[in-house]
Order: sequence, then C-alpha cells, then structure tokens
Amino acid sequence: MATVGIIANPASGKDIRRLVAYGSVFDNQEKVNIVRRVLLGLEAASVDEVIFMPDYFGIGPRAVDGARLSMQTSILDMPLRATQEDSTQAAALMREMGVGCIVTIGGDGTNRAVAKGCGEVCLMPISTGTNNVFPYMIEGTIAGLAAGVVAAGTFDSHRLARRTKRLEVKLDGHLIDIALVDAVVYADLFVASRAIWDMSKVKEIILTRAEPDNIGLSSVGGNLYCARFNRHHGVYIRLGEGPLEVTAPIAPGLIGSVGIAGYRLLSIGDQVEVTHRPSLLALDGEREIEIGKDDEMSIQLSATGPLVVDVRRALQCAAKANLFTRLCGGGSMRTRCAMREANLCLAPLDSCLARPQARDAKHEGRE
Amino acid sequence: MSAQEKELTNEQLLEMYRKMLLVRTFEEKCAAEFAKGVMPGFVHLSVGQEAIAVGTVYGLRKDDFISATHRGHGCLIVKGMPMRKMFAEMLGRKTGACGGKGCSFHMGNLSLGIYEINGILGSSTPIATGSALAMKKAGTEQVHLAYFGDGQSNLGSIHEGMNFAAIHKLPIVYICENNLYGISMRQTDATAIEDIADRATAYGFPGVAVDGNDVIAVYEVSQEAVKRARKGNGPTLIECKTYRWRGHFEGDPTVYRSEKEVEEWKKKCPIKRLKERLMGLGILTEEMSDRIIKEVEQEVEEAYQQAWNDPMPAPEDALILGFAR
Repeated sequence: MATVGIIANPASGKDIRRLVAYGSVFDNQEKVNIVRRVLLGLEAASVDEVIFMPDYFGIGPRAVDGARLSMQTSILDMPLRATQEDSTQAAALMREMGVGCIVTIGGDGTNRAVAKGCGEVCLMPISTGTNNVFPYMIEGTIAGLAAGVVAAGTFDSHRLARRTKRLEVKLDGHLIDIALVDAVVYADLFVASRAIWDMSKVKEIILTRAEPDNIGLSSVGGNLYCARFNRHHGVYIRLGEGPLEVTAPIAPGLIGSVGIAGYRLLSIGDQVEVTHRPSLLALDGEREIEIGKDDEMSIQLSATGPLVVDVRRALQCAAKANLFTRLCGGGSMRTRCAMREANLCLAPLDSCLARPQARDAKHEGRE
Repeated sequence: MSAQEKELTNEQLLEMYRKMLLVRTFEEKCAAEFAKGVMPGFVHLSVGQEAIAVGTVYGLRKDDFISATHRGHGCLIVKGMPMRKMFAEMLGRKTGACGGKGCSFHMGNLSLGIYEINGILGSSTPIATGSALAMKKAGTEQVHLAYFGDGQSNLGSIHEGMNFAAIHKLPIVYICENNLYGISMRQTDATAIEDIADRATAYGFPGVAVDGNDVIAVYEVSQEAVKRARKGNGPTLIECKTYRWRGHFEGDPTVYRSEKEVEEWKKKCPIKRLKERLMGLGILTEEMSDRIIKEVEQEVEEAYQQAWNDPMPAPEDALILGFAR
C-alpha cells in the first residue's frame, strides 16, 4: 500500500522579508491550491493513502474538499503548538507509520524542521517560503506524480532520490540542532523577527552548498569560485574587510555586497568553531539560537542530510517502466517501448532501441 | 533597520522593559479599581498585549501620530499621555483627558500625537488615513500608526482606508492586534483567512505577520514599516499575533474560551520573555527588575491617587466640549 505524508507549513512566506526585501507572498489559500494539485498527482501515481499534518488553517482538509479523490486521506492525531516543532513531530510520526514519501510545502526552515524527524523517508520539497535553496520551485502536480512514483515502491526509492548534506550544530560537543543549507553567525542579541537581511551583522557563513544560481547566502559562497570545489564540499566564509568583495542575491530583490576576510572548503566531518560571541546563530535563513559569551559552539559538515526526490529521475524511470502508459485495447506491455508496442513507432526497425522483453522495474531504477 | 546592538542601547532595552511593566501595572490597577465599582463605564484592558504598544510606539517621533483601539491604554502611555489624566478620565474627573466625559473610550491629545480613541469600532481607520493624507500634503515626514483588532479587520471602513492609503502612498502603518477574539467570537469563526496580513496583497503593499508577544520583533517590523512610510513608499500592514489575558471588557465571564487556553498563553508572557533575555545578556538582574517593578507600582499608584483627589466636573461643565459653539 502506497502512503504519502504531506506537511504544509501555514506560517511560511509571511515574515519581515516582505518589508525589507521583495519576498513573495504565499497566502494559505494558495497553499491549499498547491496541495490539491499534489493530491491529484499522487492519485494519478496510484497512491492509496495520504496523511496530513494538522495545522490551524486546515490546509489538508480544504485541499481535499472539492477535489473528488478516491484515495483515503487522514489527519495525524497530534497536539498542535503552532511552532516548527509541529513539522518535526509530524515527520517523525509519518516515518513511524511507514509512509513512502513526505511532501513538504514551505521553505528552507520548514524542511529543516521536517528533516529533524523524517529519518530515511524521502522528501519531496515544494517551495513556498522566501529564501529557498532546499525545496524546488515546482508545479504541485509534477511533485505529486514524482512523490507518488517514489512512494509506490516500484523502484528502489534510494535510487530515485539524492542524499543531501547537513550542518550539525553542537553545544559543548552535543548535537542541538541542524541546518540544511546554511548556518550564519549573526552579530545580534535577539531572535526577534527571525529573518536576517543586514549583511553588516553577518560575521561567518557555513554552507552545505555554494551555488551562484541560488537565492540567499548560498550564492555568496557560489560566487567565490574555487577550482577544487565539488558537490561533496561545504564552504566556510568569514566576512569582513579583505582583498575581495562579492555581490550576491542575499534575499529576493535584495542584492548586497560583502567583504570577504577568509574562505575555505569544508570536507565531510570538518568542524568550525564559533568565535564571535555573544551572537546569534541563524539556521537556514532564520535567527534561531542565542550564543552566550561562554558557549562552546561548533558546526560540523555531515553527509547525513535527508533524502530528496530527484523529480526528473523519478519520472523518467516511471516513463521507462510505462507506469503512466497502457494499451488502449487491453493486454500488457511486452516491450518497454510503448510506441513500439502500440505500433506507433515510425522509425526504421533497425534503429529501434527497445528490447523485446520488459526489464525488471526494480533493476530499471538502479540504472 | 533592525533591533540590534547598534540601534538599541542597554538603556533603551531597559526602558522598553520598564514601559511594558508600566502598561501592565496600569491595566491591573484599572481592573482592581473597576472591580470596586468606583470606575464608571466600560474598561477594556490589554494585559498580555504590552509588547505591541511598546514595540510599535517606542521609537516614534514626538510629532508622529497614533490612533489606538478601545484597548489602547498601553499605546497612549508609551506615546506620552500622563497616567494621571487617563485615570482621571476613567474616574470622571474634570482633569481627565476629555474632561471626565469620555471615559476610557475617547482619550486623546493631539499635542502628544494621540488621536482620540474612537468608540465605534473601525471608524478610526479612515480618520487616521485622512491624517496621513494631511501629513503627506504638508511634507512633514510624519507617520501615522492606525490600530485595529482582528474583529474590526472585517469592517468595510478598514478596507476603504487601506485602499485609499495605497492609492495615494500615504505615510501610514496599519497595525492589526490579533488577539484571536472579536469580543466573544473566535477569529476562525469570523474570518475566512488565518493571517490578516495576507490582505495587504490585495491593496498592493507589504503585509507582515509577527509574533506580537515579542517586543523586539514587533519593534523591528514596525520600525521598518515606519521608515518605509517616512520615505514616501506608502503603507504597510503589520499583524501582531497575541492574546488578551482578561475578558473583552472587565466583567466579561469569558465562557467562550477555556482556562487551559488562557494558561497556555500566559506562558508566553511578553514581559517575562524580555526579562529572561535581558537577564541572559547580563543587562538586567533580578534586583534591578524588582526595583523597576517597585518604582512602576509607585508611579501608577501616585497617578491614581492624584486623579482620585482631582475635582469632579461642575454642572455647568456639561455645556462645554460636547457641542460646537
């Protein structure tokens, strides 16, 4: 039985970055629309059941209302606190229930909360937050189809997903939190409105990924080109006066220039000590942890981030295995090429790549 | 701008803490005296919502204006209204903010930048919007802060005001104090959307939802909105998520909500929250806090006693202020 969990954050996309930058506004009705499209994609991918995280707006039930679904849907029985712990707890419960995939609707912060509870369950993250690097800007229907393919279990789900990195925040050597994209040492005293936008207060940046085509601080690292850098690396940057200045998209519509005082690649297992104290630690774009002047805090790059659905690969595997094609006259496919089977192929016979027997679908996913 | 070490000094942070305590103590004094039956009229108290009054008004210029709600004692105190005049008004004394005729509902003082509170819900918004239009035409770079509640947010006058302000890019900040209940009706029973801040999108200006029990968060957001308005970039809608600890009015039996809900919100006390952070930073100690509390209690008590001893209006005073001459 294919089951998918959906965690939609009702609070994403409403913070101060609508005022200090040009962040998109995602009202909850739009999230309902996105979830509805996800549901329709999931149903088309033969998912049997969907489980929602409860939320104070009722995104899940509103999405189901009027969607005419044949799938079973239910809401997790859990207390609501209207904090990010809801997402963590929901992910943990869904993992225990054996869901095949969790669809998240939110931003980097939402996914960070989910990643704390999802374990080895694949995530299908849809962006509705502000500075989003981790989730995809993707149409909900496509996300639903891909998540459904993963959850259906036709393929080895680990083959349809990619492993991400994470940053492990340690206080006195003990793990206290994680980040999926960036950790920032911020010269401030209050968590307050959470967002970070004043680059003069950013002292250090630790990145799991440094990509110039991303929004937010990931792009600062991405624009500092290092020939040795590869996807297994993270990056540590110390900001301040130095020989180099980089201009990068700090937030939507907010381009900033920052001086670079130091830079180094981080390999898996490398650790950075926080020396600017007292200060705040921002995780994935939000001020989260107050660092006292005597706190021994460190941040370590780890290869144990959550699995994320590779949408293209998942849907390509589904296409190769004819998951979404059938012979109109009935009967089963004997080859893996629907065009050939249906006598639609106009190519010369000797150029046909299709093999006479359908390959084992499990094997297909391992290609 | 953000409320960070460069902008807010330790002294200012302590002052904000003190003002929150002042508002809380004032409101609790009102509750105690109202219960004795010596304070006529209705009283709507803002205990639990102090972070909004302090976070939004602190940092305003003296010539900026506010239009508070009927639960607006805190905003008035932070803007500079003497507590003695407020108590005197609520006690019906001649020295009150409205000569003792308006009670809690109509206090104001234009010289302090305080438009009179309006007892008709939602009707202060168009007035505040008109005030912002005057500011823009005068080119004074003043800003008007217009407050309303989650219940009022559904009134037509609020929307007309916001639409007009958006068209003319007026220097106004709309502040929705969302305490979850419009009188006895829960927000979710009266409003189709969860975040009232979302409505700003419809008018084409920014809307921000903020934790209304975090005074520094409220301050950060409101300062950014004020800066934006002062620069001529137009209005902002800020929704402060909060909770009123007491009833809609004093005497409200609050049968529409559970004790458990109230207790949960009391754990999020905005004053306790700031106190703990300031103590963690070494800016405040328990001894300092005790001293501030004593000073504040004394200040409130003195203001009340002075108001109590102030004269009642004479019969002929009924003929002034109430009518145009």
